[in-house]
Amino acid sequence: MTTQTDKATATSPDQQPSAPRRALPEVPSWRRKLRPYLLSIPALVIVIGILYPFVVGAYYAFLNYAAVNPDPHFIWFNNFKSVLGDQVFWQSVKVTAIFAVVATTVETVLGVGLALLLNRSSIIGKIFEKVLILPLMIAPVIAGVIWKLMFNPQFGILNHVLGLGNTFDWLSGSHALWSVILVDLWIFTPFVAILVLAGMRSLPKEPFEASEVDGASWFYMFRKLMLPMLWPYILVAVIFRFMDNLKVFDHIYVLTAGGPGVATRTLQIGAFEDSIINLDYSRGSTYMLLLWIIVFITARYLVSVLGKAQRRAAGAES
Amino acid sequence: MNRNTGPQMSRRNMLAALGLAGAAAASVPILSSCGVGGKASLPNGSDSVTGGFDWKKASGSTINILQTPHPYQLSYQPLLKEFTELTGITVNVDLVPEADYFTKLNTELAGGSGKHDAFMLGAYFIWQYGPPGWIENLDPWLKNSSATNADYDFDDIFDGLRTSTRWDFTLGNPLGTGGQWAIPWGFENNVVAYNKAYFDQRGIKKLPDRLDDFIQLAVDLTDRSENRYGISTRGSKSWATIHPGFMALHTRVGAVDYTFNGSDLIAEIFFVKDTATTEKWIEMQHKAGPTSWTTYDYPNATGDLGDGKAMMVFDADSATYPKNKPGASKEAGNLAWYPGPAGADGNYKTNLWTWSWAMSANSRNKLPAWLFIQWATGKDSMNKAVQGGKYADPVRKSVFDTTFKKVAADQFGYLETFETIIGQSRIQFTPQKKFFDTTQNWAVALQDIYGGDDAASRLRSLAKTNTSKVNL
Repeated sequence: MTTQTDKATATSPDQQPSAPRRALPEVPSWRRKLRPYLLSIPALVIVIGILYPFVVGAYYAFLNYAAVNPDPHFIWFNNFKSVLGDQVFWQSVKVTAIFAVVATTVETVLGVGLALLLNRSSIIGKIFEKVLILPLMIAPVIAGVIWKLMFNPQFGILNHVLGLGNTFDWLSGSHALWSVILVDLWIFTPFVAILVLAGMRSLPKEPFEASEVDGASWFYMFRKLMLPMLWPYILVAVIFRFMDNLKVFDHIYVLTAGGPGVATRTLQIGAFEDSIINLDYSRGSTYMLLLWIIVFITARYLVSVLGKAQRRAAGAES
Repeated sequence: MNRNTGPQMSRRNMLAALGLAGAAAASVPILSSCGVGGKASLPNGSDSVTGGFDWKKASGSTINILQTPHPYQLSYQPLLKEFTELTGITVNVDLVPEADYFTKLNTELAGGSGKHDAFMLGAYFIWQYGPPGWIENLDPWLKNSSATNADYDFDDIFDGLRTSTRWDFTLGNPLGTGGQWAIPWGFENNVVAYNKAYFDQRGIKKLPDRLDDFIQLAVDLTDRSENRYGISTRGSKSWATIHPGFMALHTRVGAVDYTFNGSDLIAEIFFVKDTATTEKWIEMQHKAGPTSWTTYDYPNATGDLGDGKAMMVFDADSATYPKNKPGASKEAGNLAWYPGPAGADGNYKTNLWTWSWAMSANSRNKLPAWLFIQWATGKDSMNKAVQGGKYADPVRKSVFDTTFKKVAADQFGYLETFETIIGQSRIQFTPQKKFFDTTQNWAVALQDIYGGDDAASRLRSLAKTNTSKVNL
C-alpha cells in the first residue's frame, strides 16, 4: 500500500521537495462506506418530518373519517366527487383565485412603485424605509383585529375620516372581499417593496450611467434597463406572494370568518371549517389536497418562468 | 432483433422503484395506526367507587379543568378554594376565550390526550362529542350512591335542561333518551331585553306581542343620525346566529327544522311560514338592526344594549342580565326584560342554551372530576354563586325560587319573563350529528338573504343541502 506521503515524494523528482504531509489515519472501509449514510440521516429526518403529515393528510382524503364516524374505511374518490360537485367549493376556488390574483398584482405594482421612490437616497426615504417594515412585523391575526376595529361603521376611524357616516359597512355584501384584500395589501406590499428595493440596489451602475450620458429619459431607462434586470427579483416576490395568497387564512378569518355568506370563504377557510369546526377530517383533507394541487401546479409554472427570466437577465437567452 | 434498444432500467432506478413501492406498501399499516379511528377511551370508572359517600374520597388528587371566561366562571372562581377545603382536591383552571374555546376543545378531544378532566360544554356539542366517545356518560355516576351525595337531588334541575343533555345519538330519536352526557350548570333563555329608561322617555307602555308590531317598534326606535337603532341580534357566520332570538321566533310561529320520515331527517326550513318569518327577520335587520349585522356576535349585541346604542336585544337573558348591574355598563339600571313576540296561538316557546359540565372519557382522574362536577352543579355552591350577583340563570328550581328571586327582584320583568317561558324552554333543534355544519349553513343562508338573495329559493336550496348532509 502506498501512502499519500510516498506519492508526493515519488511523483516529480524535478520539483522542489514540498514539506512532508502528515499521514492520515487509515479509515476502515466499512466506516468509509457508512459515512454518507450517516451524514444523510438529518436530511432524511427532515424529509420524513415534512412528508409524514402530508401523506397522512392525503390518506385521510380517501377515507370517510370524521368525529361522528371514528371507525373510517376507504371510500376511494367519493370525497373528491362530493367536494368537486359542491357549489360552495367552486365559490371558494373563485374567491381564492380573485384574492390571489388581485392582491398579488396590486402588491407587486405598489411594491415596485414604493421601491422606486425609496431608491433615491434621502432622509425621508430612509425614514419611510424603516416605517414601511412595520406592517410586516405585525402578525396577520393582529392586523385583522386592528382593521376590524377600523372598519367598524359605528366607531371605526375609516368611516369617520372618509365621511361615510355610520351605515357603510366595509365587511358586508360585495365590499367584504375587497376589504380583506385591502388589509392584505397593507400587510404585504412592504414585503414586495423591500425585496425589489434590495434588487435595485444590487444592479450595476454602469449601464445607467452610460444611458444617462446618451441622454436617455428616466422612463426609457426604467423600461429598457432596470425592469429587465429587476425581473428575477420581482418574480421571486410574485412567487412568494402568490403562493401565500393562495393559502390565505388568518386575517380573513379574523375579519369575516369567510362571510358574509361565502363571500370571502377561501379554500383554506373551507378546509378549516370542515376539519376543525365540523370535525369532518376527510372532507377537510380533500380540500387541502386540492389546494395543494393548485399551489403545486402554479408554483411549478412560476418557478419555470423565473428560471427563464434569470437566464434572460444574465444574457443567456434573448 | 436488438435486445438493447428501448428504455432500459438501470440497477439504481430499479432499486429506487422497489424502494418507493415498498414505502408505499409499508405506509398503509403505518397510517392506519397513526390515529385514524381515534384512541380507545378509558373505562367509565363509576363502578369502582364503593362504600359510603365521602367528599374526601379522592383527597390529595389534582384535576385540570377547562373553562371560558364567562359570568358563570367568574361567579365560581372565588368558590374553588371551598371545594378544595371540602374535598382535598386541587383544581387547576385553564381559561380559553369563548371565540376559540370549542376549536381548542375539538382539537384536544380529537387528540385523546385527556389533559382536562372536566370542561364546560354547551348541550349541542354533546351531539358531536358523544358519538366518537370523547365524553363520559355520567348516568352511572349519578346512580352510584357511593359516588353521589344523597342530597344532590338531580331532579331539582329543570326538566328541559336534564332532557337537553341526554341523547342516544340515534337519528330521529328525541332528546331525553340515552346517556346523561353533561350536567347543566347555568343556562339562558332567549328573550327580549330593552332599554326601559328610553321606552319610558318615549312613553312606550305596551310591549308588542305580535312580530309585525315588534318590527315596527324596532324601526320607530331607530335613528341612525343619533347612532341609535332598534334591535340587536347576532348575524355572524356561525351556528350561534340561529340559536337565540331567530330560533325562538322560528319555533313560536310553529316552524320546525327537520321532520323524520322513519329513516331520514328532512329539512323543513323552506315552508311558507319559515320563509315569511325569515324575510321579516332580515327586513328588521336592514331597517332597525346593527349596520354591520353580518359580523355581530353576542358580545356586540349585548354591548350595544349596555352602551345605549341598541334599544332592544333578542338574545340570551343571562348575557343581558349582568349589563344591568351597577357599574357594568352605561345603561346599567335602565334595562328590563319581556318574552318578545308570541306565536299566533300565544305560545312563548324558547330555545335554550346551557353551559354544562362534561367529563373527558380519557380522564385519568374520573372520581375527583365527578366530585367537582357534583359540587359545581350542587345546591350549596350554586346558591353562593347566585348571591355574587352575576350568575343567571340557575339550573336548579330550588335555587331559582329562593336565592335568585331575592337577588333578581329589582330586575324589571326578569323573573316574570323567566316564569312565563320556563315551561316552554328547551332545545328546539332536532338533535343530529351534523348540527354545526348544517346550522352554520343556515346562518350563511341568512347572510345571503340579507345580501339580496331571494328568501324562498335560498331556503329551498339550503333545505336540499342540509337534507343531504344530515343523513350521511
